[in-house]
Amino acid sequence: MIRYMILQNVLHRPLRTFITALAVAVEVTMVIMVVGLTTGLLQDYAKRTEGIGADVMVQPPSSSLFMNFGGAPMPISIADRLQHLDYVQAVSPVLISLNSVAALENIFGIDPESFRAVSGGFVFYSGHDLQEPNDILVDDIYAQGKNVKVGQTLHILAHDFHVAGIVEHGKSARLFVLLSTLQEMTGAHDKASIFLIKCDRSNHAAAVAEEAKHLLPGYEVRQPKDLMALMTSSNVPYLGTFINVMISIAVIVGFLVTFLSMYTTVIERTREIGVLKSLGASKSYIVRIILSETTLLCLVGTAAGIGLSLALRALIHDLHPSLPIQITYGWSVRACLIAIAGGLLGSCYPAWIASRKDPVEALAYE
Amino acid sequence: MANAARIFPSSEVLTLARERALEPILKTENLWKVYRSGKVEVPALRGVDMEVYPGEFVSIMGPSGCGKSTMLHVIGGLAQATRGRVLLDGNDLTTMTDSARTLLRRHKVGFVFQKFNLLPTLDAYHNIALAQHIHGNGFDPHRFEVVASLLGLTGRLTHKPSELSGGEQQRVALARAIVSEPKIVLADEPTGNLDTKSSEAVLNLLRQLNQDLGQTIVMITHNPDAAAYGHRVLHMRDGQVVDGSTVH
Repeated sequence: MIRYMILQNVLHRPLRTFITALAVAVEVTMVIMVVGLTTGLLQDYAKRTEGIGADVMVQPPSSSLFMNFGGAPMPISIADRLQHLDYVQAVSPVLISLNSVAALENIFGIDPESFRAVSGGFVFYSGHDLQEPNDILVDDIYAQGKNVKVGQTLHILAHDFHVAGIVEHGKSARLFVLLSTLQEMTGAHDKASIFLIKCDRSNHAAAVAEEAKHLLPGYEVRQPKDLMALMTSSNVPYLGTFINVMISIAVIVGFLVTFLSMYTTVIERTREIGVLKSLGASKSYIVRIILSETTLLCLVGTAAGIGLSLALRALIHDLHPSLPIQITYGWSVRACLIAIAGGLLGSCYPAWIASRKDPVEALAYE
Repeated sequence: MANAARIFPSSEVLTLARERALEPILKTENLWKVYRSGKVEVPALRGVDMEVYPGEFVSIMGPSGCGKSTMLHVIGGLAQATRGRVLLDGNDLTTMTDSARTLLRRHKVGFVFQKFNLLPTLDAYHNIALAQHIHGNGFDPHRFEVVASLLGLTGRLTHKPSELSGGEQQRVALARAIVSEPKIVLADEPTGNLDTKSSEAVLNLLRQLNQDLGQTIVMITHNPDAAAYGHRVLHMRDGQVVDGSTVH
């Protein structure tokens, strides 16, 4: 009976129902998208770094997990010292620069030969490897997103590059130029931001990393395979706080909309509450009706929110293929629970008000 | 004087009640209800004494503002009395908590209002079934059918209040009031919003409920013709019952 009554109530005011459910859907979408975007970016970054194929990475002291936020570049001569360590098969110096025009993109300055030795080389979709000083390679996702073709000129870092080839994504950066060109452009002669090491066998990576730490005390020596585990919001400064703030805003919005909606409902149905009381409905019966109605609205809203998130992810993927969004089952459930909890919290006061209404005054309400 | 008008039941009912040693189903003793408007006290009831016996149909008449509705609210447990006692089926409402009065309303009182007060989102069937649901003893299809049939609602149960005439709405409200077999039905101007024909139909139904089912009814009305449907008419003025007469 209560279920039927609640369903009829919800259907009786379709616009109110739509707006409330939409607010909950937006709340759920906001949580899922904020978490999905940050997690997606981090995991994509880790995956791409791992995809280079290096077994060990050496960065300057106090470097961030993110290569483009590294400290001062290192002398390129370090490559020779690393090359002499046991089990090391190849070392490739890479200079990294950040292109912040229109988007945040890493540009890798590489030495094609050593980079090929470490990574196994690029898979070319079209064009050829870096040959001329102004050559640039772009990955397929960048090419798709920016509609870049081989032979085209790209203006990056105040420099005109000639697109020499389009390569398969997954080698950390999306743009690759010659190391010497980038050194020239950034004034970092004989410098590198990172050294990528390929071991003769991958199970020697730990031993090589230990040796590198002894050789270069204080330097950051990491194994890319560990990055996936390290790339969480808790390991990135302020990211956890950012996510929590965004979730809180979403919850507050959901809370306020539900509160307003249910409060309006209670006011609007004052006489009906009086009737229920005259029939002998207890306070808990009335609270149950209000909270059940909220739960129904929240369930509809959360389902719509998940659908909206999936649709938004598809849309963003079409518009910005390089922007990864990771929608996980765990966070979808958490977003729904957060929205339902926020909604129920928002309807507690209206429910309490309704349950405490004086039946005589309620029956006289016009 | 507050206790000047002690009204006794109609001679037939009283005789019957005495023969069967019946206790009044409803009894008020020096019942007062005082409202506060800022610092001003406004007494709505000033020491009402009355008795209603099982199976009686009592009409209460009086001018606007004389306290009729207030008395109905107090004896129905919707409002708390300021002083005095209200005994409903042996339970003293004046000493009860709000929750206990709610429980008492659920099991012993059926209300009928001037404005019908049906839930607009529910059809007639669910408006009536709602009372049984709140009553808590589960849906009783037999009782439901008897009531719906008695009130001529069988063909109108799937209609929402907005699709029913005033007379039909009031019949649904009547059905809702009696479907859980209350000890007493309290009707507040049940014909106040109806045309003459519908009013007559509703009053005949009230009388029929009283006669066929033995339903005790207390009805408030402005209309002397409507009041005449009861066994007795109590007259109220200035928060007091000033006269009681037997209708022959």
